[in-house]
Amino acid sequence: MKMAKIDLKALKNRAENEIETAKDLKELNKIFKKYLGKKSQLTEVLRSLEKLPKAKKVKIGQEANQLKNFLKIKFAEIAQEIKEKVRKEVEEKEWIDITAPGKKPALGHLHPLTQVKRKTEEIFQAMGFSVVEGPEVETEWYNFDALNIPKDHPARDLWDTFYLKNGLLLRTHTTPVDIRNMEKNQPPLRIIIPGRIFRHEATDASHETNFYQVDGLMVGKDISVANFKATIQEFFQRFFEKPVEIRMRPGYFPFTEPSFEVDMTCLNCNGKGCPACSQSGWMEIVGAGMVHPAVFKNSGLNPRNWQGWAFGMGLDRLAMMKYKINDIRLFYSGDLRFLEQF
Amino acid sequence: MVFSYNWLQSFFQKKLPRPEKLAELLTMYSFEVSEVKKTSNDFVLDIDVLPNRASDCFSHLGIARECGILLNSKFQIPNSELVEDKNLKVKDFVSVEVKNKMACPRYTARIVTDVKIGPSPKWIRERLKVCGLRPINNIVDIANYVMLETGQPLHAFDGDKIEGKRIIVRFAKNREKIITLDEEKYDLNENILVIADAKKPVAIAGIKGGKIPEIDKKTKVVILESANFNPRIIRRGSKKLDLKTDASWRFEHGISPNLTEIAINRAAYLIQKIANARAAKGIIDFYPKKVLPKRVRLDLDYAERLLGVKIPAAEIKNILKGLNFQLIDFRNQSMMVKVPTRRLDISLPEDLIEEIGRIYGYQKIKAAFPTVTLIPPKRNINLFWEEMTKNILKEAGFTEVYNYSFISENDAKVFGWHSQAIIELENPLSKEQKYLRPSLVPNLLKNVQKNQNYYDEIKIFELGKIFEKPKKEKRILAGILTGDMFYQTKGVIDLLLNKLGISDVYYKEFKLTNEEIKKNWWYPKKSADIIINGERIGFLGEVTSKILAEFKINLKVVYFAVRFDELSKFVSEETIYQPISRFPAAVRDLAVLVPRGTKVVEVLNKINTLGGSLIRDVDLFDIYEGEELPRGKKNLAFHLIYQAEGRTLKSEEIDEIHQKIIKALEKNPNWQVRK
Repeated sequence: MKMAKIDLKALKNRAENEIETAKDLKELNKIFKKYLGKKSQLTEVLRSLEKLPKAKKVKIGQEANQLKNFLKIKFAEIAQEIKEKVRKEVEEKEWIDITAPGKKPALGHLHPLTQVKRKTEEIFQAMGFSVVEGPEVETEWYNFDALNIPKDHPARDLWDTFYLKNGLLLRTHTTPVDIRNMEKNQPPLRIIIPGRIFRHEATDASHETNFYQVDGLMVGKDISVANFKATIQEFFQRFFEKPVEIRMRPGYFPFTEPSFEVDMTCLNCNGKGCPACSQSGWMEIVGAGMVHPAVFKNSGLNPRNWQGWAFGMGLDRLAMMKYKINDIRLFYSGDLRFLEQF
Repeated sequence: MVFSYNWLQSFFQKKLPRPEKLAELLTMYSFEVSEVKKTSNDFVLDIDVLPNRASDCFSHLGIARECGILLNSKFQIPNSELVEDKNLKVKDFVSVEVKNKMACPRYTARIVTDVKIGPSPKWIRERLKVCGLRPINNIVDIANYVMLETGQPLHAFDGDKIEGKRIIVRFAKNREKIITLDEEKYDLNENILVIADAKKPVAIAGIKGGKIPEIDKKTKVVILESANFNPRIIRRGSKKLDLKTDASWRFEHGISPNLTEIAINRAAYLIQKIANARAAKGIIDFYPKKVLPKRVRLDLDYAERLLGVKIPAAEIKNILKGLNFQLIDFRNQSMMVKVPTRRLDISLPEDLIEEIGRIYGYQKIKAAFPTVTLIPPKRNINLFWEEMTKNILKEAGFTEVYNYSFISENDAKVFGWHSQAIIELENPLSKEQKYLRPSLVPNLLKNVQKNQNYYDEIKIFELGKIFEKPKKEKRILAGILTGDMFYQTKGVIDLLLNKLGISDVYYKEFKLTNEEIKKNWWYPKKSADIIINGERIGFLGEVTSKILAEFKINLKVVYFAVRFDELSKFVSEETIYQPISRFPAAVRDLAVLVPRGTKVVEVLNKINTLGGSLIRDVDLFDIYEGEELPRGKKNLAFHLIYQAEGRTLKSEEIDEIHQKIIKALEKNPNWQVRK
């Protein structure tokens, strides 16, 4: 049988040309089949080799295989080129308008006072203070008498009080928990007492009937005014995350002696003086003092053995300063337009 | 209290610093000066005298004394050298009888006669005006002036109008009445101390004078009263009568009885000088128990330990001497201090240390961290779960609210809470805050009402205390979702409890008591009890339109509440890893047509019983009721997830169980598995 005479060179030229002009992968695939498929001329040539005489077989076989390999590489190259081209086209075509709004998962919001309370607790806990709580409805003993605020004494006027028909009252500070805690625990003590308190006062932008206070108490053998100063200053610096000066001046609380008021650099003007601080450069923020011996006595501790300091400050006020909120009533308004900002 | 700058200056020869400077000084070392205001020719200092210093500083003299030590300037005590007329004897004009020496520890009186009533001189009038008092006539003005100067309230009676020339200090009798100088009528009782003449009360002791013996143009004889009254009695009387005056205010804070004499001599001296009067010889002075200076021992080591700073002994001595304290018996770092009687605030070493600290200057005390044993803070587990709960709800899309601890009279009415069951305030500020809240729901509903105009959907929660009679307070977690959200709410509760490590949860049909049905807060068929470990811990349900109408809410509202203290018993931080099965799971769907009243749990129980351990999970993915379905039916669609722990389930095996389940379900004639 006479073997079909095939010009491998011409085949190579034709195939190369077609491969190079292929428009897409589909066309390239067709071309591949045409030249390298089962029914392609080249395959036929390779298949018919057996019948040829040895010398010819080797020569043609070599040439055909070379061509086959050449085309395979060529196909791969062009396929890669086409893929690249397509990818580029897609890249050019597809885009995202990054200015269009993102899709937010619907998270809720924690109340700003919760957040401020957490931060306060975190800072004091880092300084070794335990967080304790107490009842909101109190007895006259814990709220007043035990704190050295006797009945029929004008000092009681410092705390406008809601009384209840059951003979109890709504605590006017979280300080009663100082007593409750000292009754049960031997010093040394380091505690803070956050919680809701109540005042019988007409409400306005800076007064509420219920609000939040955190009290602090540290008792030991030699806990001093100087220690208080360092602790409270550290607290404010961590809380407001900037250097904050404090100053102490005389104050009066029946349950501390000496007592002092603590002012902090006005955050609004950084101490330069502005309307928010009545031009003084200072904001009154904490009431504090050294625990009065009578308070130790009323807690069952011997004042000769122990000394320490206590302080109280308003969490609402801290939150107002931190977030620049101008009306305390917003905290209790339940207004989501306010709450969703935190 | 307001003070005149010029008046303060009058005690010093040396010029005082300018008012702002003086204010700053006082603020840092004595009392906060809240305002300095300029008047036409003076400055008004509004000084917040600390209540424990009322005894010596509710007076210009007191503040001047403070200025004296702060500025290290000498100040002069005003002149009170009156000239007594030997021919006139006090005893001929009046006698004084004090019935109760506990109520009136000292009563001092003087007589001035031949007074010329008229306006007081300009300098007195001006000072009174700066201090907010209205000038009346020279006698009354001088009494007021001396009060502002010394802190001792004085009173002047017209001697001719006192019946029987007798002054009696006694408690009022029931049904006695008095008309005061400002022509107000007061009903007196046995708890109110009065100054009476032979017949009737002529003044409410320490609070206000009566109209009858008022000083008028014709007054010739003046009885000057300078007395000391028991602070508690004055305070009680003032509260009872709802009458606060400059005098009552001073008395209730307490004044030294030793001040009466100083003040009365000063007043008599001024009257003599200004009203051309003659002062009768002698002074009536009821003073059975003279108050002597207290002695307080001060240990300098203790002062150092308390303040945290070592102040040299010499400096401490200077400070105390500057405050007119006498130092006796100084040895071994300890001294006995004799305290002037005007300083009622000082009776303990700590009180002296306060004086040392403030005058030394608190700002000079260097901050120093305490040196203590490292004891880690106790973990507050209650707080931990509270915060965890808040975080979970926040992540589930809820916003936290803080509401008032009060509810209104109307809230109580709407919810049918009887005043026997809820705690009422003795002195509410308004009807809006008449009771302590027995539930978080009324205020949460108010939140919805307030926000409904701005939000289509509201998801809020609160964790706070509620109050129950007789005196219980409980922590409650409650929340509200608006819309047809029963299942979402139930899902949130499941999620929350799961995250809190609580697994034994189920929901029970809500059993209303007859009482509750009448009250009609929740739709009974759209409410459920939350049961944990067999204990009823909470509740969820849809609020009735009746309640919603009361709160003017136009959205549907689903509410949930959990007793948080009790929930805390079941929470757990423990998580144990369950090995993930290495063998594949197969999902088969199953749809059952059941009557509308059939509960999902009935179908679920059947599936689980038959599937046994080979069913890993059954997931209800759809409940459908619609027109295409036969009337009164609903379609429940489940994914059944088959998986074995130790092997790959064969398809035939799954088919077999699945068929068994289908057959079992169809045993119920009303149930039909859709194929």
